[in-house]
Amino acid sequence: MHIPDGYLDWWICVAMYVISAIVIGYSIRKVKGKMDAQRIPMIGVVAAGIFAAQMLNWPIVGGTSAHFVGGALAAILLGPYAATLAMTSVLIVQCLVFGDGGITTLGANIFNMGIVDVFVGYAVYRAFKKYGAISSFLAGWLGIWLASIACGVEIGVSSTFAYKIWVTVPTMGIWHGVLGIIEGIATMGVVSYIHTHHPEKMEVAT
Amino acid sequence: MKKAYVAIAIMLILAPLFAWAADLVGYSEPLENAAEETGASENQSYTGIFPDYTVPGLNPYLSALITGVIGVAIILAVFYGVKMAKK
Repeated sequence: MHIPDGYLDWWICVAMYVISAIVIGYSIRKVKGKMDAQRIPMIGVVAAGIFAAQMLNWPIVGGTSAHFVGGALAAILLGPYAATLAMTSVLIVQCLVFGDGGITTLGANIFNMGIVDVFVGYAVYRAFKKYGAISSFLAGWLGIWLASIACGVEIGVSSTFAYKIWVTVPTMGIWHGVLGIIEGIATMGVVSYIHTHHPEKMEVAT
Repeated sequence: MKKAYVAIAIMLILAPLFAWAADLVGYSEPLENAAEETGASENQSYTGIFPDYTVPGLNPYLSALITGVIGVAIILAVFYGVKMAKK
């Protein structure tokens, strides 16, 4: 879902940079106050784990596939503000070091995978928490689905995609809606494991 | 924390296998499908230090392992750096 340079019109790039910068700035403020030094490495470990997981492209017969994104997982483990910072660090490293996602489109990639996936995932998790493990499955699934639709809208209003938003949104939404089931299962697996074995590590364990 | 590092190490070790398997099935993401359907083309002028997780001169599978280790190391270094700076 990493958008390369050239996919988005300049005004969308700018708008996405502005929105993402505001949310990142607000997240830093939220995290700064209540974060003791011990918890900072934990954000780093979650970010590093998500980076590693994103390297594993799921080999699905037919070819159209995806990899784990992890915004919802980060949100459940760290809370949404620290999760946005973790995802942002992953996306910056992917962009600058590995050319995965463009520099002009970095704001949009942070918005989709570091903000939409994170905050939708977190909201869904909180809403369905009383129903148990299914909450983290739904968080992972719906988080990635809405992130893909946001991505579909951004490319769909861009000239490179001939403004064919009626093509781009269904293509992104349908594929990632199906592939998102895997994201949901993986999210549920990790959350359930940590919830059972290390409940003290959970930001939102109550 | 220790178990998390072990999990990360396992994923990095698996990276070459997944790179090979992705090649095998002709991996492409929905975003690339959408680009194909609408005739969009990318225009990536900056390709990074290790373009698309490759190390010049190395095969793609060893590259996946090494770039994975590099990426994890950078991210951990940043957050441990922030922790040190806070003290």
